[in-house]
Amino acid sequence: MPDPSERLVNLALYLAKTNRFVSAEECRVAGLGYPEEQDAPAFLRMFERDKEALRAAGIAIEVNDDECYRIDRAGTYATEVTLSGEETATIRTAVAALAADESFPFAEDLTIALAKLGQGSHAPVTVTSALVDEDPRAQGSSAAIAAEAISACKFVSFDYTNAKGGSRLHEVAPYGLFFREGRWYLVGLDTSIGEIRVYALRRAAALSVNAVAPKTPDFERPEWFSVAEYSLQPFQYGPTPFDAVVHFSAEDAWRAPRLSGGTGVIEELPGGSAVWRLQAADARGLAAWCVEHGPGIVPLEPATVSDAYEMGLKEVLGRHDR
Amino acid sequence: MTAKQNTALHTRRMLALLSYLKQGATLKLSDLSAAVGATEAEVAADLTALSYCGVPPFTPDEMIDLAIDGDSVIVLSAPPALDRPVRLSPREARALVTALEAAGHAHDDPLVTKLLEAAAAEIDPAELAATIRTGTASVPLAGIYAVLAEAIETNTKVRIGYFSAGSGTHSERIIRPHGLMNERGAWYVSGHCENADELRTFRLDRIREATSTDDHFEPPAWVSTSVAPATEDLPVAVLRLAPGSRHTEERDWPGATFNVKPNGAVFAEIPYSSATWVARRVAAGLGTIDAIETPGVRAAVREIALSGLAAIADAGTATVE
Repeated sequence: MPDPSERLVNLALYLAKTNRFVSAEECRVAGLGYPEEQDAPAFLRMFERDKEALRAAGIAIEVNDDECYRIDRAGTYATEVTLSGEETATIRTAVAALAADESFPFAEDLTIALAKLGQGSHAPVTVTSALVDEDPRAQGSSAAIAAEAISACKFVSFDYTNAKGGSRLHEVAPYGLFFREGRWYLVGLDTSIGEIRVYALRRAAALSVNAVAPKTPDFERPEWFSVAEYSLQPFQYGPTPFDAVVHFSAEDAWRAPRLSGGTGVIEELPGGSAVWRLQAADARGLAAWCVEHGPGIVPLEPATVSDAYEMGLKEVLGRHDR
Repeated sequence: MTAKQNTALHTRRMLALLSYLKQGATLKLSDLSAAVGATEAEVAADLTALSYCGVPPFTPDEMIDLAIDGDSVIVLSAPPALDRPVRLSPREARALVTALEAAGHAHDDPLVTKLLEAAAAEIDPAELAATIRTGTASVPLAGIYAVLAEAIETNTKVRIGYFSAGSGTHSERIIRPHGLMNERGAWYVSGHCENADELRTFRLDRIREATSTDDHFEPPAWVSTSVAPATEDLPVAVLRLAPGSRHTEERDWPGATFNVKPNGAVFAEIPYSSATWVARRVAAGLGTIDAIETPGVRAAVREIALSGLAAIADAGTATVE
């Protein structure tokens, strides 16, 4: 029996070369590599799988009313892209580096994408990527599995060890996936408690997708869901959110959009300073964040945060008075 | 990887290789290997398999005819079809968009839109943005990244405005950029800083603006890809971190050695090149982290606490409705 990949390439070439629609039977007898001894139902199952594999490779296959097939040329062939020097450099460095990063969950797909774009060649400059520093391969693999489950709306299950060391099995309807500061996180509805939770994938073991009825979704993701609302600063997680205002000095105002992570609203003030109006949930955490990213960043509201900032710094001063 | 997954990848690689096989071309195996992200042995196997492929009646002119000679591939007869680049599949488009996001390009960035319109048929960027996030897309780093990437390719000096977290100061510098590194999602550029006259590493989200100059430089023979400085010969700060304080993981302090006491307190020995960097983190502990050594770090902690308290008054004068 020929290599299945040769059969798939032969089928793709045959459909691309033939201008007319061809039937499954014509494909079977064209010598593309389908086993001659195969019965009709087995052939049709194999043919369906082959069409699916070609579609997954970017080949658009048209079907007519007679169940005959040909390649949709407009849907299959890419049009030429003209990139500026800076755009090419970005793709050939950042994107190429991620394609070689085992903690990037789509590295394999990215490599093929770069090859198709004609950008997959030796990076001309030194560029490296290590998104994840703790067990990068495992986190990348879990993130890849989670992404497929999110796309197919299939439940996932995993053993989760929380920060206190307790471990139990979770079944989750996965809604979104985000990366922050070296770690991948899964956002989803935990079916046992009926609440949306955020899970650090480094704490999730044996993550698997519900294998029952793989082509039938297990759930519908709410239309309002946006993963960005869950990708927050540590001080923004907590049971009792509150509104806060943080002041950036004129010299530091440009840093506000960089540090805000896209949350809240930044308002420029006369004189060039800025305020960041945001939602937080941990007064002390926000106060500490302001100190860490300062100088020039000071919490103004609410009083719980500004007090934590002032009292905290006085405590620090007392502990380091000489 | 299962046999089915292996076949799928093998097939996708073979299909991606087709558009590189122009009749009469002599190609380097190493270039094709880099192009499709596989080893030279894997690419040689892919090409061998492709040499058995074609369309009916499978006469020589309807087959892919090529010869592998050492590290070269000679294309005697181009593929009978599919000799132009194929569009990205939804999964490939997802990979590209999320990778560009990690490099600072938002889902609706012009480059992302241009690539998707030309090369991907079936992907909804809004749907992708709602479900997968690989970077803080609001951060406008794409332009800075692009300037640096091109400057490295062309050995061009770049003028940057930089905020140093180590010293807490803003400065203008001329750098000779050597390499780019992504660590834990943050991008860094390494290079020679002409102001400091030594090798430095700059974090991209602390670069206010980057402008290419007309000056060029000789690229170095060797480029470091390490973000953290070498820790030998550095002074060592000793900190006591109370249970529950910030930054109690070793990954937060490059090169640190942790010693956990039975009461949960952590004593950390931290090599540092900037006392202010360590001190700012100590101050951010708001009384839960003590700098025991060195005197320089303790003095820097005092300075930060005093300037933070002074800043309250300055900020209070700002107009906030």
